[in-house]
Amino acid sequence: MSSELEPDAALMIRVKQGDWEAFAALVDKYKQPVMNLACRMVHDPTEAEDLAQNVFLQVFKSADRYAVSSKFSTWLFTIARNLCLNEIRRRSRHPADSLDAARADHEDQPLHQYEDGKTSAPPDRLLHSELEQKIEEALAALPENQRLAVALCRQEDLSYEDIARVLGCSLSATKSLIHRGRETLKQKLKPYLRTGVWREPQ
Amino acid sequence: MNQQSVYHQLLERSWRRPLTPPEQAELRAWLEAHPECRAGWETEAALNQALRRLPEPPVSSNFTARVLQAARREAAAAAGRGRQSPARWLALLRERWSPVRWLPATALAAVLVAAGLFSYHRFNFNKHQAMAQSLAAVAEITSLPSPAILKDFDAILALDNAPPADEELLALFQ
Repeated sequence: MSSELEPDAALMIRVKQGDWEAFAALVDKYKQPVMNLACRMVHDPTEAEDLAQNVFLQVFKSADRYAVSSKFSTWLFTIARNLCLNEIRRRSRHPADSLDAARADHEDQPLHQYEDGKTSAPPDRLLHSELEQKIEEALAALPENQRLAVALCRQEDLSYEDIARVLGCSLSATKSLIHRGRETLKQKLKPYLRTGVWREPQ
Repeated sequence: MNQQSVYHQLLERSWRRPLTPPEQAELRAWLEAHPECRAGWETEAALNQALRRLPEPPVSSNFTARVLQAARREAAAAAGRGRQSPARWLALLRERWSPVRWLPATALAAVLVAAGLFSYHRFNFNKHQAMAQSLAAVAEITSLPSPAILKDFDAILALDNAPPADEELLALFQ
């Protein structure tokens, strides 16, 4: 029976049986995608990492409730979505608790310190850096449901139907959210997108 | 399928992943036939590239280890809670008192209770029967005399207070 299941569902069955290696395998596989989503939603890598950790902890705690017939990634991202939205709402109720306050001590440092694996020439790198900052700002300014939809859209293993399940809305509403989010991004980033610096030869 | 929907499908696919070579060829053919859409497509493609090339946030090297540690703590805490929870006690009872063990005892208890109830019912029935018989006997007794016979009651009662009979005089009369 296990051989008919998707690999992640088979791992979840082992997690239910108390197999720590299976759980570690799932965490390793999905930590980056969950972290990407969390970071896109809360705009703070440290807080996003705590959030991602909570997502996997919730997966572990809810393992008994996971139905093997459903797709694991959809279930995982639904948990991630709920925790991200809870965190955003908690922050809006208690703005003083936000880790943004703690960042004041390190204001001389940039907001995000991502490793740049690409070997670009310095001027290109500067331009990329500026464009990255602009696009991060534009993404951060999107309404949370559009931001979530655009972020989930980057998950290649999630189909539009899966994204709709995660968002808890219809397929057409999901595509509409993505479309509206992208339209806003295009409007805000038009001058930068026209430079063609990100365009790759097709 | 009309031409516009082909374009929208390609557009929607491009939002999620780079187009495959056959899809790119299809797109090129479509754009050649609809040059007015080229500018719009180029903006879409530039946004796709921009979003794809955003750097991924770094994940700590010990992320998995920290998650596992937290999950182990959670499992230990849950086990501790489980030892005290009512559900745990119920599970224990269910385990200890399996049907195979308690079924004969329960059957015996049921028989005893049924016998007890039957005896009690029988006792009550007999008691009621005896009471009914007594009531029937009482009902058979003749009804009391009419109060009219008591009209000389006081005179008769006063007879007790009369002076005693003169025994010598009575003897002489005899």
